[in-house]
Amino acid sequence: MRLEIGNFHVKDIVFGDKTAYANGILTIDKKEALDFIRQDEHITEAELYIVKPGDKVRMCPVKETIEPRVRISGGPLFPGYTGELLPVGNGKCHALKDCCVTVVGRHWGGFQDGLIDMSGEGAKYTYYSQLKHIVIVADTDEDFEKREQQKKNRALRMVGHRMAEFIGQCVKDMAPEETEIYELDPVLKRKPEIMTLPKVVLVLQPQSQMEEDGYNDLLYGWDTNHMVPTFMHPNEVLDGGIISGSFMPCSSKWSTYDFQNFPVIKRLYQEHGKTLNFLGIIMSNLNVALEQKERSAMFVAQIAKSLGADGAIVAEEGYGNPDADFVACIVALEDVGVKTVGITNECTGRDGASQPLVTMDEKMNAVVSCGNVSEIIELPPMETVLGELEALARDGLSGGWGTDEILGPSVRKDGSIIMENNAMFCGDQVVGWSPKTVKEF
Amino acid sequence: MAKAILYLNQFFGQIGGEDKADVGSSIHEGLIGPAMELDKHLDAEITHTVICGDNFMGSNTEEAINTILGFLEGKQFDIFLAGPAFQAGRYGIACGHICKAVKDKFNVPVVTSMHEENPGVEMFKKDIYIMKGGNSAAKMRQDIKSMASLANKLIRKETILEAAQEGYYSRGVRHQVWRDDKKPAADRVVEMLIKKVNGEPYETELPVPKMDRVSIAPPIADLSKANIALVTSGGIVPVDNPDRIQSASATRWGRYNTEGTDDLQKGDYKTIHAGYDPAAADDDPDRVAPVDALKAYEKEGIIGRLHKYFYSTVGTGTTQAEAARMAKEMIPHLKEDNVDGIILTST
Repeated sequence: MRLEIGNFHVKDIVFGDKTAYANGILTIDKKEALDFIRQDEHITEAELYIVKPGDKVRMCPVKETIEPRVRISGGPLFPGYTGELLPVGNGKCHALKDCCVTVVGRHWGGFQDGLIDMSGEGAKYTYYSQLKHIVIVADTDEDFEKREQQKKNRALRMVGHRMAEFIGQCVKDMAPEETEIYELDPVLKRKPEIMTLPKVVLVLQPQSQMEEDGYNDLLYGWDTNHMVPTFMHPNEVLDGGIISGSFMPCSSKWSTYDFQNFPVIKRLYQEHGKTLNFLGIIMSNLNVALEQKERSAMFVAQIAKSLGADGAIVAEEGYGNPDADFVACIVALEDVGVKTVGITNECTGRDGASQPLVTMDEKMNAVVSCGNVSEIIELPPMETVLGELEALARDGLSGGWGTDEILGPSVRKDGSIIMENNAMFCGDQVVGWSPKTVKEF
Repeated sequence: MAKAILYLNQFFGQIGGEDKADVGSSIHEGLIGPAMELDKHLDAEITHTVICGDNFMGSNTEEAINTILGFLEGKQFDIFLAGPAFQAGRYGIACGHICKAVKDKFNVPVVTSMHEENPGVEMFKKDIYIMKGGNSAAKMRQDIKSMASLANKLIRKETILEAAQEGYYSRGVRHQVWRDDKKPAADRVVEMLIKKVNGEPYETELPVPKMDRVSIAPPIADLSKANIALVTSGGIVPVDNPDRIQSASATRWGRYNTEGTDDLQKGDYKTIHAGYDPAAADDDPDRVAPVDALKAYEKEGIIGRLHKYFYSTVGTGTTQAEAARMAKEMIPHLKEDNVDGIILTST
């Protein structure tokens, strides 16, 4: 399977007469884009903004980020979700780099939503302060979940994905500035010099904890709760085969942009043929019932063993309950002789004194740690807020609170905030960006 | 200039050796012993030196601490230091006790230094900064320098970096930090995997503590012939607490003869455990150390006999290392009487 991603590096985004890309400038016809957004009958109000690194802008509640792209052979960017089902990971796409479509709730937030600061002290807490954003701030008619802490955010997320497809169209017929190539021969038909290298798999545990449809990550449109682990080509992840969901405290989440650009996958590709033989991905999940956790761990270990894997990386999208899946999967792999490294974040509490994962095992002897979800963060007011800052305190965002005897409310009258890292948008960057680690003090 | 006060034992305080270890606490203006070297490196003036005999502090801990806290009352100081205590166990524990008490009462930063095998490390590392020190006074200059470097940062209210970098024993707390090299997690995880699959050394970013699990012993074949002993961490002692077992973070234990008694009487025994409401245990000490039930079993022939002593210490705040040491000290006594089984009661 061979995937070519043709890149267009966006140096600036402006509003203009026609949605087009030229010489690093992405121009967006605002009216046309808003008309497109409003085609969704569930969108009741929408506005569009351009936000860049260094802007004095705070976004909250952020729902999702997506990289604008276009599939050269035609068809939806996210099969089974924004359009019909088709296999991905082979062929060409064009991508508008260094930017993303970002969806922000006009009013209402929830458990899974996050915050992005584009400048100041808060910018270091999320990867997304480094990107240029085409920001959709919108509200919907989904009144049934307006006051719910858990929100599916169905309409807002869908409009974001569709917008990424819509904008991506403008580079369909252009020659990319550079091309990334992701290619792996079939597992059993690789060159002898590659076959002698240590064989490794990447085990992904995307978020699948909710029993009801509409919240979990979708694999080709399929709810990841309703699957057992399966073997996949890494290109399928990079090429829109999986999208982010709407559950899990935000710093632990993997957005759709995260999946499209998955740094651990790209890093394994770099090593492929040099120091290791990258077999592919075992796509697992994070269901809540113990038997489901054990079943997934069994499947992962069996697939890895049958493929002849010598090593594995296990990455979990979440913390708390999912730690049980994460540790069980590592133990199951070690038990069948696959040398395994985990990558995750920790929950050591505000004082740092709690056990880092809800369960630990001595067989888990190699872990990369990307952050502590419960770290307290205090930030000054920001000149401009997109969305509704009060959502952080009012709507049950994990990491925000309405009142606290000692700390006061998360959102203060002057616009300054106090929150847990939990609410930083995809802040712990377990997909591989994280420059953070956790140390003993 | 900032002000500091230093705690020393009788030896480093130049009062005398083991024969003077019972000397009570005292405070002196100016620099004594190691205070002179410390003063050179510290961005603070050491105004006073506090001295106490190791035995006195060990046997009369509460009294010694209260006296010293009294000395410090009204004195102006920005930091409190103790030691370095090297591998000297009693001295290390004393430094830990006094540092913790001063920190709690006056809310000033405290720093001490000990060798890793000093029992004071395990007992107090969660509460205070203990620098990793040498095993003997030959390392005095080095240990004083490291105490001063952390103390100076605390005095200047600078950010204290992680334990490994600053050289103190981890206090058991984990916080996120931004790596200086900004190396992304993807590089770290793939490099760690390559090392691991190739059998090369690597360092996990999340060490999992070794679980010190003890396998469950096989059942006793014939209980009616077995010699059973009673051991408790519930703090039941004769009312005068003859072994002066501490009410928390215990390092001492005792064993008490129950021959000729069928029942631990209220008024003869009590609990000195500070971790639970003592009312029920004081009213009937058998509730925690059930000598009465075991004597009844002995009479009924359910057990062969009850070992003539029960063993007691206090479990609250007691470190695993101290608990293991005390158990190892109890074992020879139990073996001597051929004890077959132990009932271990907590609270």
